[in-house]
Amino acid sequence: MSDRPLDELREELRARGYLDARVDRFVLGAAARRERPLGVAAAASIRIGLLAGVLLGPAAAIGLRSRAPGLVTNALDAAVLSVYLGVLFGIAASILSGLAILAGSAIARRPGSDTTRPRRHRRAAAATGVLVGLACLAYLTLWWRTASGLAGGTSIASSLAAITVAVTISLLLGHAVAVTILACLVRLGLAPEVRDLPMSSLRSTVPLGLVALAGAFGLLLAAGPGTVEPPEPPRLTVVPSGLRSVVLAVDGADPEIIDRLSGAGRVPTFTSLLGQGVATIAADADRDPARVWTTIATGQPPDRHGIRALESREVAGLAGRLRADSSGWALLAGATDVLRLTRPAIASGDERLIPTFWEVAARAGFRSAAVHWWATWPAPPHSGIVVSDRAILRLEHPGALDAEIAPAALYERLQASWPDRRAKAIARAERLNISGVSAETAAALRRSAELDATIAGLALETSDGTLDLLTVYLPGLDIAQSALSGAAGRGLTPAAAAERGPALERYYEFIDGLLAEIVTAIPVKDRLVVLMMQPGRAAAPATLGRLALQGPVVQSTRVTLASTAIAPTLLYALGLPIARDLAAGPATELFDPAFVARYPVRLMDTYGPRGSAARARTGQGLDREMIERMRSLGYVR
Amino acid sequence: MASLPARFEPCQAEVSRALETFVPDAPGSRVVLAMRYTLLAPSKRVRAILAMFAADVCSAGGAGRARAAACAIEAIHAASLMLDDLPSMDNAPLRRGRPAAHIVFGEAVTVLAAFGLLNAAFASLAKSYEPPLAARLAGVAGDAIGLDGLVAGQAEDVLATDASINFDTLERIHRRKTGALFGAAAVAGGMTAGGNEYELAALSAYAKNLGLAFQIVDDLLDVTGDPAETGKATRTDARKTTFVSFSGVAGARQLAGELCDTAIAALAPFGSRATGLTELARFVAARRL
Repeated sequence: MSDRPLDELREELRARGYLDARVDRFVLGAAARRERPLGVAAAASIRIGLLAGVLLGPAAAIGLRSRAPGLVTNALDAAVLSVYLGVLFGIAASILSGLAILAGSAIARRPGSDTTRPRRHRRAAAATGVLVGLACLAYLTLWWRTASGLAGGTSIASSLAAITVAVTISLLLGHAVAVTILACLVRLGLAPEVRDLPMSSLRSTVPLGLVALAGAFGLLLAAGPGTVEPPEPPRLTVVPSGLRSVVLAVDGADPEIIDRLSGAGRVPTFTSLLGQGVATIAADADRDPARVWTTIATGQPPDRHGIRALESREVAGLAGRLRADSSGWALLAGATDVLRLTRPAIASGDERLIPTFWEVAARAGFRSAAVHWWATWPAPPHSGIVVSDRAILRLEHPGALDAEIAPAALYERLQASWPDRRAKAIARAERLNISGVSAETAAALRRSAELDATIAGLALETSDGTLDLLTVYLPGLDIAQSALSGAAGRGLTPAAAAERGPALERYYEFIDGLLAEIVTAIPVKDRLVVLMMQPGRAAAPATLGRLALQGPVVQSTRVTLASTAIAPTLLYALGLPIARDLAAGPATELFDPAFVARYPVRLMDTYGPRGSAARARTGQGLDREMIERMRSLGYVR
Repeated sequence: MASLPARFEPCQAEVSRALETFVPDAPGSRVVLAMRYTLLAPSKRVRAILAMFAADVCSAGGAGRARAAACAIEAIHAASLMLDDLPSMDNAPLRRGRPAAHIVFGEAVTVLAAFGLLNAAFASLAKSYEPPLAARLAGVAGDAIGLDGLVAGQAEDVLATDASINFDTLERIHRRKTGALFGAAAVAGGMTAGGNEYELAALSAYAKNLGLAFQIVDDLLDVTGDPAETGKATRTDARKTTFVSFSGVAGARQLAGELCDTAIAALAPFGSRATGLTELARFVAARRL
């Protein structure tokens, strides 16, 4: 008789009740030496946690990748993240399954007649297992829905594969819990043998586990960066309005102070700009500058644009970043920082999901420049001129460009003029009229003035008179106010506190002068000047922001707008169609009726995604320097 | 010849001492001599050890109470060997390192001695335990011997000699001829120690896998063993289909190992109390004789 394949003989034996221990060897293996039910539950829970960690880690990594753009940049990131999440889910599953096992055992041990007891034991164990399995399945299904929703939908095949993986994982965990409950009851001399439960042998558990693991990894890689080409950006049809815009963003500006100074004739540029079309920005208590200014630049709320907070976290072993967008996160981040698993990072463009107004304008063919706006690093190569929020650091630390400035050719020019530009900014800050204040206050103000003067100088240098859109962000006032009025100022003496008001007013005058200069970057003819002001981090919650428009087609009016209306208003003024998926439409009431009639609002479905955010790092990184700079400016602690 | 790990030796010795009085010597009685000849022949006493260890896992110190049941199981096993070796059956000349009973005492006396051992086993169960337990134990023993046990297995085995049988038939023969008595030993041991139905079920699963593993190793030893070591004639199964016929030597060894692993896994609910049974399974998987 010829030898038969061993697998075939195994199957035949299994069909006859052999090779089936009727207990899950893996799950109960660690429990074999425990005498007490509590010991069995604890030992088995650790094994269940191990199983859950291995299976749920990759699956959760897929979900987190969609929820945290920029976190996973390559396959190594995905693997490392899977390990982290595997550990996290493993611990959580151990605890939860341990509790479920104890609860299920307690229910099964309720007094009852001897004839009904075995059935009840089996039912209680099975019911607990089913509950655990269903909870797991619900969670996995929800994360998949969230993940696929954020990714802009997915194919039926991918969804089917995801659900298959979810069902398999849920069955395995539910079964493991049920088996362990029965083992606990056996140890108490109460439970039925573990028969008639599905997947009770290692031979079925291992293949199913491998299927789940392979499926989850497959999905992770399939959904990973680089495997799917970003969709082609929608075509933008422009009806040029002929307007050329300069957008001035002043962070930390208090409208009440400006009004008072304007009345005294001390800030003529502010007075002029606030004299035509003015909008009050609807109350928004959000004070995180990266989040607020990205909302303004994209016309979408944070959950759509992706920048949740100024401070994010670099995760050890990952090239990508994890955003910090909840209060609970701060505690966790503190703990993981101590463990060296994470370290602070500043919100970057890699995390942003959708384009800013200047990126949309550049895509439509407008000559655009954006200077020092939040989360503009890394500067994309084909979005006009971008002098990112790391450009000054790069100019201070000359080296190979790491996307701090685009186009790269501009870097050489700015680098050549940097010493002179820097000296002028320092000299200008020195001239800030703040005599009579303490050295501490003077230092805070001069440092802010130096930064603002540098940014203004860079803006003027990037502009050669041909730009259609110049966007400049000035953070100095916010930094100065935070330093003097915020947390850093709490230790001031009464005399020092009293001197802050007049000193800050002089800083407003300084800013006023800078604005006057920047405006000249765009020729007067057909020039639209847009002034945006946000209250800044140190402002009272009730303080409102303002938007002011000045130009030949602007109507003198006073309106109230949401901050998400600013971007569509700017794009409308340039002659671009407005995306229907924006959070708000353009504020046409700020423009002359004749202009609005001549250029009616045109709509299109969407501006599309920003494009592939993940990128390989090149050049010499400035991550550490950026953190230190943000720390020294009071943005992060 | 009974070379067992040291852990089993006290138990083995205890059973051997008990068996000395199980069939009292009766000078001049050839049939009693034949009964004692096979029953007291050197043996590993695997089934008896299984019964006593099974009692121990259900109740610490339960082995002593299982001694009578263990002896009854050994008596049933000895009777089955005597019948199995008869010329009308396997016609085996050697058993336990000595000439088979029918060679020494003749066929008629051997048949009678076998029946004597079977009756002695049931009598011992009836006398050693209280009536309800004795009745349950007798039922277990009767089932192991009867129409789904040794008798049926031996009948099918005899009819299958020189015939080609399929895997299903082979498994059935082994289950009845070997597995049934292993199962009876484990369950009877557990019963004497008051094991509940769940513990008995776990012991039954253990014994079922162990019994088949034991038989497969027996088949292997028939092919690869040395009569001087095994104590019985080898190549006697040449006319029979065995597990080795289906899977080859390596495959049969692999399956025996997996069955023993499964048997051990079935003991998980007993925890460290099952260390003895675990070692017994490992011994079965590795035995050379």
